[in-house]
Parts: sequence; structure tokens; C-alpha cells
Amino acid sequence: MAKEMIAMLLAGGQGSRLYALTHKLAKPAVPFGGKYRIIDFPLSNCVNSGIDTVGILTQYQPLVLNEYIGNGQPWDLDRLYGGVHVLPPYQQASGSDWYKGTANAIYQNISFIERYNPQYVIILSGDQICKQDYSDFLRFHKEKGAEFSVAVMEVPWDEASRFGLMVADENDKITEFQEKPKNPKSNLASMGIYIFNWDILKKYLIEDEADPNSENDFGNNIIPNLLRDGRNMYAYHFSGYWKDVGTISSLWEANMEVLDPEHSGINLFDDEWKIYSRNSGMPGHKISPEAVVENSMITDGCRISGTVKHSILFAGVRVEPGAEVEDAVVMGGSVIKSGAVVKHCIVAENVVIGENAVVGAMPADGEKAVATIGPGVYVGSNAKIGPNAMVNNNVKDGDVQW
Amino acid sequence: MVNTNTSALGIIFPNSYDSLVPELVSERLMASIPFAGRYRMVDFLLSSMVNSGIDNISIIVRKNYHSLMDHLGSGREWDLTRKNGGLSIFPPYSEKNVKVYSGRVEAVASILDFLETQKEKYVILSDTHTAVNFDFRKMLDEHISSGADVSVAYKKEEIPEGFKKIEVGRSDLYYTLSIDNGRVNRIFINAPEPGPQNFSMNIYIMDRKFLMEQVKGAYARGYVYFERDILAPRLEKLHVHAYEFTGYTARISDMKSYFDENMKLLDDENLDGLFSPSPVYTKIRDDNPTRYINGATAKNVMVADGCVIEGDIENCVLFRGVKVGKGAKVKNCVLMQDTVIEDGAEVEYLITDKNVTITAGKSMKGADTHPVYVAKYQVV
Repeated sequence: MAKEMIAMLLAGGQGSRLYALTHKLAKPAVPFGGKYRIIDFPLSNCVNSGIDTVGILTQYQPLVLNEYIGNGQPWDLDRLYGGVHVLPPYQQASGSDWYKGTANAIYQNISFIERYNPQYVIILSGDQICKQDYSDFLRFHKEKGAEFSVAVMEVPWDEASRFGLMVADENDKITEFQEKPKNPKSNLASMGIYIFNWDILKKYLIEDEADPNSENDFGNNIIPNLLRDGRNMYAYHFSGYWKDVGTISSLWEANMEVLDPEHSGINLFDDEWKIYSRNSGMPGHKISPEAVVENSMITDGCRISGTVKHSILFAGVRVEPGAEVEDAVVMGGSVIKSGAVVKHCIVAENVVIGENAVVGAMPADGEKAVATIGPGVYVGSNAKIGPNAMVNNNVKDGDVQW
Repeated sequence: MVNTNTSALGIIFPNSYDSLVPELVSERLMASIPFAGRYRMVDFLLSSMVNSGIDNISIIVRKNYHSLMDHLGSGREWDLTRKNGGLSIFPPYSEKNVKVYSGRVEAVASILDFLETQKEKYVILSDTHTAVNFDFRKMLDEHISSGADVSVAYKKEEIPEGFKKIEVGRSDLYYTLSIDNGRVNRIFINAPEPGPQNFSMNIYIMDRKFLMEQVKGAYARGYVYFERDILAPRLEKLHVHAYEFTGYTARISDMKSYFDENMKLLDDENLDGLFSPSPVYTKIRDDNPTRYINGATAKNVMVADGCVIEGDIENCVLFRGVKVGKGAKVKNCVLMQDTVIEDGAEVEYLITDKNVTITAGKSMKGADTHPVYVAKYQVV
């Protein structure tokens, strides 16, 4: 039986700008928003949109991601026919190769897609925080009679030159594509989410593969080739919350925005569009009599005895008496020992911040630095970690790092 | 077989002691009473069994079991969707002269055919009114080395008040043991002695074949209760070994104890006692983390995921999805899942069942000896 549309999720990105968080973790597996990982968003969007077949293309540090996805059950994607499949590069009779680019990753999995004989394929990115109804995107694609559609966001004109831009006419038909241009003709930024008619995608993937000069990339090769041939290409306007969390500061910012859904628009409390995740299975969190908790999100398994302000605490975080946590993202299982001060920073999973240590600082005017402590790091007692630091190794008692 | 599985199957009696908490079981049974913020009573037993390597578990239900079926589903959350074994739920047969069982003998008799075909050498029987992190492997090892016919777990403690109120003639019985050198030599039925007793936890281990033989014989004679009719009269012949459990137990014996046992978990030592060494599994709801906003304050509380707190909470246990509005004051309360305390409401010593709403500005107060209970879906 044919599927109307299946999803291919690009999750091979190294996330080099998140280095402290991603040197042992694929970027889509980076924790987000108290109990999620980034990949929960596209996966939940898929299942909430009625897409029940998802291929996840991985190649960089896939162990955690593979285990996290498992059989896909937390997202209701454990299906007899379809469901979620992790697709690493594999050896074929003709040889084997790493995924050379985004288009090549899909090219190498043409036979996976053919198993489901879909009419449409949606290409998703594994590094965005966004709640989007892909079925509405498909409705648009069909209404326009498109062969290719891309989801676009209006961005401020003065920032437009940072993005890949779609120039479109009044019918949303795309006439031109500009990759990070100096003089933008449009402020419609590509979100990197595409719907293709499968026959068209397949044709262009094969053609692209045959071109030795191609970078095998959707933005640089496939889309320009579609334009060259005058294909029916349309831009689908998306206006909800969307954030590419490719940098430490954007990741921190997106987490902080979760604390203020009334203004930021990223609402995790939406029963109509739940974001699913693999559960920690810990008992409820506890706040002791001497603790102070203000304007924060706290997850199961936390034990708070210190002060927590405007922060996100993931499952099983402990904040000991006298410790202070402010404007911070503290990931699962980390311990903030008594007297430690943790501010304006990201603390990864299973970190210990020693007694009276200081991590990060509230920013002075104009500064945006977010201190980052990598997973499993031990920060010794009385150590001091400056607001620009990215710490990947244990810090000795009393040491100072900037 | 590699030594990861335990050669024992579990049989759970989810309706035992329903009569002690009539309010809480009006639409459910003991096993599905919400407890400890995000769990149901049965979760503790199921998790303990699974963590002890038992993956063939039968639940013999008597009545009001819809909530339990809904909670358990296929048993996946407890890792009990197995090809061999897994979770089996036995509803009462609908036959001529239909009569739901009242004691263990009748209950087990109804699944004799099933027991006949199982492979496990031992069976473990248990009720669900006690939340506990129990190592069944340890008890089974002791049972085997003792050479006993039956082992029974007990804890040295005073008989809970709720049990003392059980009237003669009520179907729920409780048992205290007289023990000599590890062997039970007398079983007392509903004997409200003061001071610490060897109080039976109603957890039994025995050979599967042995159980089947005993039950067949007893059932033919019209016996009802395993303890009263099979064990107690024959302690000289039967070797009944007493296994002392010294870990943490939270026992529901009346509404007061339900309130107290929830509150006791605000003490870290008790919480760790119940949730370690092994994890406790439950049905997943995919709630978001809990949010504290708009000047909320929280002191000495345990709060599950999915809550939104805008008011003041103190000495409370909040289940999943509870909302506390602006300016609301909630003190010494147990609020079950999806309770809503609207803006400005003030409540103290309250137990709210699922989906209760206390409307804006209302004030409700119980006493520490008599917490007020508000039933499911009530709007106050």
C-alpha cells in the first residue's frame, strides 16, 4: 500500500558551533525545554500531522540518538508498516560512502523511500525548534499544483542577508533563490523544510549524483536545478514560532523563551499539539521548605533546596541549600552543590558544580555571552567559570577559567 | 535459560481492602488509586516484580476495573508486553449463577487452567494496598533455602488504625503472625493487639503446583480464604516460612492514612525508601515540565510534571496537570491529577480526586485528623 507522504529527517549535522554540547552527541539529540530533545519537535510534528513513516538520516555521533529513538514508541511511531527508521550510511555492492551532503543522504536512501511508494516526500531538519502542521503544508502544495514547495518565514529585512531567500510572485510561485545575498530581493527565508513530488525528487537526486561538480546539497544544487528547469515551485508561508538552535546563545535563548510562552509563542503546554519525548520515569520534583523558586520550569525528579529563578531544570537536577541558579538551563541529572552560583549559562547533563563554585554571570550591558559546561564535567569547589567559557574538561578546585 | 529471569509468576489481587477506602474506590479499585504524585498503587508492585526478573504477571480483578485496564493497557510501560508471559488480566467470568470471588481461593480457582499451562516453578501472590520497593528475588532465594512450603512476608509494625476498624463479617481480613525461629506457628485473624506486631504483608511465595493442589482441595470444600482456610488450621503440617521485610512501606488503610502516606513522601528519606533501589514505572502522560509563574511560591512540596502554579503552595503533594491560580493558597493538600484551584481560592487539608475544580475565591478547610475529600469531577 502506498503512503501519501513520508518524512526524511536530516539528523547528521555535527553542530560544531554547539561544540561543548555536541562533541559526543548529534545535534538533534541535544536536550531542550526541560524534558525534550530537539528531535522531539519534528517527530511530534510528523505524528501530529498524520505522517507515520519517518526516515532519520544520521552519521555523526549517532549512539545516543539511536538509543533515544529506539523503536519510536514514545512518538507513537512503532508501526507495522512504516514507523520510524534510523538510516545511517551503509555498504552497498557498488561500495560505501559517508553522506556527502543533504541531497546525497536522501539519494543513498532512495530504496528506503521506494518501499513506501509515496506521492510526496517531506524533507525535515533535525535542528529546529518549531511546532508546525505539515498536513497544512501538504494541502498548500497540492492546491498550488506544485512539484516542490519550501516553507518560508518572513524575517526582518536587515537580517535577510543571513538566510537563503526565496523570491516569489503574488501567487507564492518562486522565481528566484538567493543564498545569503548581499542585496536581498526578498525577506522570505527558507526554513529548510521541503515537500517534493517523489518522482521529481528522485529524478533530480539521480541527476545531481551524476554531476561530479555538485556538492550534493539541497540549497546549493537541487533547488537551483529545479529553478533552471522552470519547475512549479512555491513558497509556503509559516508564521508560528521557529528557531534554529545552531549556536549556544540561540539555544539558550530558545530555552528562555519557553519560560514566557505568552510572548515568545513557543508553547509546550498545548494539549492540541503535544510534543512527545522519552520519559525519565522519575517521581515528581520536590521543593524543600527553605527553597525559593520563581518563574521557572521544573521537571520530574528534581530536588530543590536552594534558589532557582527564571531557569529551566531538566529531570533529576539537584540544587543544594544556599546554591543560586538564575537565567540558567540545567540539563538532566546535574547537581549544583551548596553555595554554588550558576547564572546565565547552559549546564549540560550529569555535571557537578562544586561547593561555592561560580559559573557564568549576569551579563553587563550589551554582552550576550552564555557560559557552557559540557556533559559529565566536574567543576571543583570554589572554581570560577567566566561568562565566555566553554568547558569540556573537569575543573580543579579553585581554578579559574574565562 | 540465562539467569536474568526469575522462575516465578506473579498473581495480583487488585480489589483487596477496597472496603477500607469506599470514597476512593467508588469508581476504581485499590490497585488504581493514585498515589505519590504520578503513580497508581499497582505500579509499585508491578515494578518491583519486573525489576526482580518476573515477567509473567496475572491480575485477577473482581469489580470496578475499568480504570485499572485503562492504566495498564498492554503493560508496555512496565515492559510486560512479552510473547511469553507478560501481563494477563482476568476479569470475572460471566456464567450462570455468576458470583464474583471474595477470597483468594476462589480467585485462584478461576485461573487454574491458566496456571496449569505455565512454565514457572514458583508463584508469588500479592495485594496492592501497600506501596513498596520489594526485592522478590531475595525473598524467593530465602524461600528456596528454607525448604518451606509457603513463605509469607511480614513487617514488624503496629496495626494501622484503618484495619482495626474492620468489622467481623466484612470480607477483608488482616493477619498477624506468631513466629518461632523463622517458622510461622500461628496466624491471628483480625486481632487488634496494641504495639508492634508481625504484620503480614499478604505477599506469599510457593510452588505453583503446590498452590494449585491446595486451591483445588479447598475450593471443593467450599473454602474461601487462603490464609484462614488453608494455612491457619494446618501450620503444624505445612512449613510456612516468615520473611521479614524491613524496607519502607506506604500502606493505605483508610482516608487518613492515604493522606498521611502521601505527605510522608515530602521527607526525602521516605521518598528515597520508596523509590530506591529500583525505579518505579507508570503510565506515561507526556506532560510538559511544571511551570512556576506570576509570583508563585512553593514550600515543602512534591509536584509532578504538567502543573502550572501561579499561587502559593505549601506542604502539598500535587499530581500531574494540577493548576493553581493567581493568589490561590493551597496548604497541606493532596491534589490528584488535573485538579484546578482557581484564582484566590484558599484550601487546606483537602484531598481532591481527579479533575476537581475549586472555583475562584472559595475557601475550604479540613483538619489534619480529618482531611476533606472531594470526589472526581466535582466543581466546588
